[in-house]
Amino acid sequence: MPLARLAARLAAAIGAQPARQELKWMKQARAADPTLPALPAMLTRRVAGEPLAYILGAQPFGPLTLRARAPVLIPRPETEDWALRLAHTLAPSPGMPARRILDLCTGSACIPLLLCALWPPGTARALAVDVAPAALALAADNARLTHTPTLAENPAANTLDVLHGDLRHPGALARALRAHGPFDVLTANPPYLSKADWAHLDPSIAALHEDPAALRGDDDDGLGLYRRIAELVALPGVLAPGGADVALEVGWTQAAAVRDMLARAAGFARVEVWADPWGRERVVVGRRRA
Amino acid sequence: MLSLRQCLRRQCRSHVPTHRRRHAPPTSHRPHSDAAASLEQIERTHSRLLQALERSVRKSDPSQTDIAAAKQLKSAKPVHDAWDRYQRTKNALLETIPLLQDPEMADLAASESADLITDLDHQLTHVFPAILRPPSETAHLSALIELKSGVGGSEASLFLAEMLRMYTRVAHQNAWTPTILASNDSDNGGIKDAILEVKGNGAYDALRWESGVHRVQRVPATEASGRVHTSTVAAVVLPLSDDPPSDGKDDDLFKLDDVRIEVMRARGAGGQHVNKTESAVRLTHMPTGITVSMQDERSQHQNRRRAFQVLRARLMDQKIIREQAERRATRKNLVRTADRSEKIRTYNYPQDRITDHRLGKGNMAWNDIMEGDGLMEFVQSLQDKHNVEVLEDRFADLEC
Repeated sequence: MPLARLAARLAAAIGAQPARQELKWMKQARAADPTLPALPAMLTRRVAGEPLAYILGAQPFGPLTLRARAPVLIPRPETEDWALRLAHTLAPSPGMPARRILDLCTGSACIPLLLCALWPPGTARALAVDVAPAALALAADNARLTHTPTLAENPAANTLDVLHGDLRHPGALARALRAHGPFDVLTANPPYLSKADWAHLDPSIAALHEDPAALRGDDDDGLGLYRRIAELVALPGVLAPGGADVALEVGWTQAAAVRDMLARAAGFARVEVWADPWGRERVVVGRRRA
Repeated sequence: MLSLRQCLRRQCRSHVPTHRRRHAPPTSHRPHSDAAASLEQIERTHSRLLQALERSVRKSDPSQTDIAAAKQLKSAKPVHDAWDRYQRTKNALLETIPLLQDPEMADLAASESADLITDLDHQLTHVFPAILRPPSETAHLSALIELKSGVGGSEASLFLAEMLRMYTRVAHQNAWTPTILASNDSDNGGIKDAILEVKGNGAYDALRWESGVHRVQRVPATEASGRVHTSTVAAVVLPLSDDPPSDGKDDDLFKLDDVRIEVMRARGAGGQHVNKTESAVRLTHMPTGITVSMQDERSQHQNRRRAFQVLRARLMDQKIIREQAERRATRKNLVRTADRSEKIRTYNYPQDRITDHRLGKGNMAWNDIMEGDGLMEFVQSLQDKHNVEVLEDRFADLEC
């Protein structure tokens, strides 16, 4: 199909202005990296509904450029926004002892890698956990890409290690975490689409290039994995005895329910809800005891 | 070659009559009066300059003995040195002038007085003005060039694309780094508006003369009847300081609390529910009402950084304009500030002529500017013109 018709079909699908921009980004990416597919091939895939990040193989996240690879969840701008805010809110001073960070359902590892990139050297020691091998492989690739070593490679730097683990079994996961914890910071962007959401998917995700398991939450209300997190953090040895900061991304209608779960689960000084830049309640944040 | 004075001294010592005595040239009186007249002419032409310099030499005479005086003395050193050199050269010329009468010395005297006059001329036209002119406070700044197509529709946006190429080329020629921060393509291959960053020392000082309305006259490619159209592109050149802190912390130009940061499109449920690039941001500086929208990058972080860069440049531009206005209010200031709605240049394609209306004469050919290095000649002429105005201003300062 000729380029102009492909471009017109993309414009019809996503709007004229976004299509013009995506076309420009494809051209720029291809000019910078000739190993990418040629423009007509990229456009054909895009028109078929494949996300731009998979086609370009990259997704910006704060100051980082991470690798994006199907079917691992592509980092969203909402996540970028709150992760940046969290990094600034919790930022340690240089020379402070390393904080242990646990990121559950890590996917591309965008959240812990951002903390590692923004915090002073030696203050972040992150463990990225996922159940999907594809996610763990991508997380490790992104750590290399952003020059984040493992703890064994360089204990003086900010480090990231990956661990296979299944949140659906909190007891077993807690045991596996024992060698790495207890944790001062817990972050997670677990799959949270409800059964009702699943029946009416937005066209931008409906082609399901992303792993459905990274989108669809457990239980009918999509909150199953938050329940497992609440169970996990209540187990001894997971969170630091002095208290920990917890930040969980939620779907736009789920903040209140997750806030209640978190408030009941562990002794937080306070539990906050942060809005995203589009005005949606996006993340539930439990702050450590004072 | 022996200098005239060395010659004289040697003659005095030896008393040996010269055998190879030359006939005095029949026009021997002319070099004398020429040289004297030249000196008189030079001094008359530059009398204000000389007075200004003499005054600043005297003014800097330190009667105090503290550090401030030492500092002042140090800053006055170039003035003193130049003044000394001028006086020495002038005295040498005054000594030389009588020798033009001497048939023995006339040739040597003539060539030496010519050299001395050239030297004096150079000091008066280059050395003194450069010393008296206050150094540019914006010399280290990079530039942002904002281009907006005006009248003329698609032809204006086609020309805007050509101007963008021209400035990009000029930046490379001057070892500056050009980056297109934002551009809105039009459907016909032109560009509706664009922001070009030009990084490097002196970029702002050189390119600030480009602010104003650029007018192009030619037959648009789309015009069947062959009629010449007039279209315009408005340029605003803003001063760009070093990279702001990446998170846009407070600085001397604005308080972060005064800046409203907004995302531009609705996202519905957002989060995992949708997967669209939403990287556009808009900043509003509430005290001034300045808004900056940036959407060219996939990275919201990058768009935000660039939006802050543009905001900062606009605020610094306002600050410079405000300071100029304040200076003008305190005393008569002759330095013109660019009126951005003013038509500054006409690019006439059929006549192969580009005219800068501030310079009057000295047109360039189309390719000199669009493909060659003609723009820098315009820039130099405009800089020279500006320098003269600054110097006039300085005179007014010293004379009052």
